[in-house]
Amino acid sequence: MSDGRRQKRQSSDLLSRREFVKLGGSAVAIMSGGVLTNKDAGARRARQPKPKNILIIITDQQHIDTIAAGGCHHVRTPALDRLTKRSVSFAQSYTPNPLCSPARSAVLTGRTSSECGVHVNGRSIRSDIPNLGQWFSEQTDYETFYAGKWHLPRTYTGNIPGFKVINTGIGGFGYLCDTVMSRACQGFLRNWSKRKPFLLVASFMQPHDICEWLRLNMENPGRLRYPELAGELPELPDNFQFDENEPEAIRRRRAGNEPFRGKAKWNKEHWRYYRWSYYRNIEHLDAEIGRILQALEDRGHTNDTLVVLTSDHGEGMAHHQMVRKSSFYDEAVKVPLLFAWPGHISENRTDTTHLVSGLDIMPTLCDFAGIRAPANMRGVSLRAALEGNGGLTRDFIVSEVSSNTGRMVRTQGYKYITYRKDPVEQLFDMKNDPGETKNLATSSQHASTLAEHEKLLKHWERRLDVAPKVPNTDAWWYLERS
Amino acid sequence: MAKRTKKRTIVGSPLMPDMLKELGAVRGFPLPSGDFAPDTNWEHTYRIWTCHGYRESGNDNVGYLRIRRTANSSEQLTLDVYQTVVQSDALVNIVEAKVKCRKNPLASPIAWELESRFVDADNNELPQLRCRENSRVTGAADTTSDWCLFEAVQRLAFDRQTSLSFNLLEGLSLSKSGQHLFYRGVYPTKIPGADRLHCFVQLGSGILPTEYWLDDSHRLLAVTSMNKAYIFDAESEKIIERRIEDVRRSYRKNKGLKRK
Repeated sequence: MSDGRRQKRQSSDLLSRREFVKLGGSAVAIMSGGVLTNKDAGARRARQPKPKNILIIITDQQHIDTIAAGGCHHVRTPALDRLTKRSVSFAQSYTPNPLCSPARSAVLTGRTSSECGVHVNGRSIRSDIPNLGQWFSEQTDYETFYAGKWHLPRTYTGNIPGFKVINTGIGGFGYLCDTVMSRACQGFLRNWSKRKPFLLVASFMQPHDICEWLRLNMENPGRLRYPELAGELPELPDNFQFDENEPEAIRRRRAGNEPFRGKAKWNKEHWRYYRWSYYRNIEHLDAEIGRILQALEDRGHTNDTLVVLTSDHGEGMAHHQMVRKSSFYDEAVKVPLLFAWPGHISENRTDTTHLVSGLDIMPTLCDFAGIRAPANMRGVSLRAALEGNGGLTRDFIVSEVSSNTGRMVRTQGYKYITYRKDPVEQLFDMKNDPGETKNLATSSQHASTLAEHEKLLKHWERRLDVAPKVPNTDAWWYLERS
Repeated sequence: MAKRTKKRTIVGSPLMPDMLKELGAVRGFPLPSGDFAPDTNWEHTYRIWTCHGYRESGNDNVGYLRIRRTANSSEQLTLDVYQTVVQSDALVNIVEAKVKCRKNPLASPIAWELESRFVDADNNELPQLRCRENSRVTGAADTTSDWCLFEAVQRLAFDRQTSLSFNLLEGLSLSKSGQHLFYRGVYPTKIPGADRLHCFVQLGSGILPTEYWLDDSHRLLAVTSMNKAYIFDAESEKIIERRIEDVRRSYRKNKGLKRK
């Protein structure tokens, strides 16, 4: 599309004054790149205390409701509980993309996966967008280290731009991989000179082993493999049933998943056994995270280290009879997001009001480190919210998926989902229907809400600098329904 | 030209011994030379094999575990543990432990020394990642570790009454409570050297169900837990050393480096 044509299109898509007022003043922030401009930002950053060290824990495929201290009754997670009790955890935290590589690219750059050129698994981040390690190596005194899963493009590699890799991990097998990786981190933390600041990313594979579990338990045995577990199996979720009239991408994904591929359809017991198994993977992850946090504590670093924990995406967990990821249902697209820094960040607080995104991690870390963030951040710093000094003026977040064809807009009240070239849209009332069971997209009563969300998405899309060779980009410029 | 995609068939069912054979992880188990006496001194080596869930690809030998048992007295025994795991880019993790155990049904650890170290593609140790632990458990006759269970399970009776409840100290460091181990029964197999195998099952927090497979002489031949198997194999060390050489060669080739 020519620049002139694009400008014309953008001009005609501008929000009306009425719509602007309806959205709130934060539309300014959104339209100016998602970053609240502040003349004093540099001076403020310089005045604020900085954490001596930064530890970023990334888990793989962790459903948001998998921490006992957060209210999950199906797991024992002593390490995550301890971390939760000294953290602010966000209950409305969304991944920028519910798929491994794309999510990681966005979290580690603060730019969307389509901008990074990582619209599917196994792609490199576009070279003109710095990752966290590159940016911090250039701008700060932190020495930057990485351990575990990378997946941009290689899953496990000793060569990650901007980071010294202390451990590569092992392809595909979380149970073994994470144990060895956390031992490496333990050794690193114990041997690290106390004087030098570090930024360490510990990137776990678990609970991703549920993918292997699904392949090794695809066939429904018809009876519980371990009858001893009968009394322990978690119940099925309330939204176990699914709407037959979903977007095709979701219907295809479900049909391709193991519960629908075996010789016999899964019975409820097998679904419940799957959920039970997922929780055991969470507990394994918890123990390995505990090893690292203990090493941090043993070396006296707990109070001077900012700890961040998040996941690349969630897990279907039988909600809507989905397993794995790549959908915009909350189970797959919501992720844990915890920040802990004793004495600086509120402790044991669950933030249920703010909508936050993995895109916010990069600008937040830059803010804490006292440096400006790279240009064109799509997220915002959460520092003020973490320190209890004010809220975020933001009305919506966006997530993308399916090779740049799917988008989700989440506002405080609603979730809007659309896939290019698919006439089926979804609109859920997240306050009255948090299980996402009633699609309101075709309800005339909600036509204006749908239109508002479409408009939000349109403005979001127009700001993006999508990487060359990412497919389906032009379609998003127009957002015309086919 | 159309891109050729490799066919991948989902395994579909859990890793029971016959499935290990089907997937090529086990050809056979060596026949015992004479009777095996679990209560005496012995050394067993297990190949660590992982499964990606497909029949055709992604399944591999990633390491080995060697356990040497020494009977100290009627009340104590010592386990020497040596585990090697090969990671991507030819990084190797070695864990060595000497564990003094009670000679109770759980082989509960009393005291141990453990060292974890890493070596790089040039076989140089990475001292910044080395970790040593010397620990002691007091009054914990209801505690054991995963490695100790490799010993203990061989002394248990093949009896449906056999049942143990305990806390697990995985890798002698991670505490996992609420464990339960019990005898499941005997199962016929098609594996040469093991017409039938006895099975103990371990269930508990922080672990996927783990099955211990023993022959009639109480020799532990395999341990399976979801996508991971420990397979009794005297050749394990050679197989893994060969694999380490291969991955190092491949790593150097990719890096364009010459061997030191």
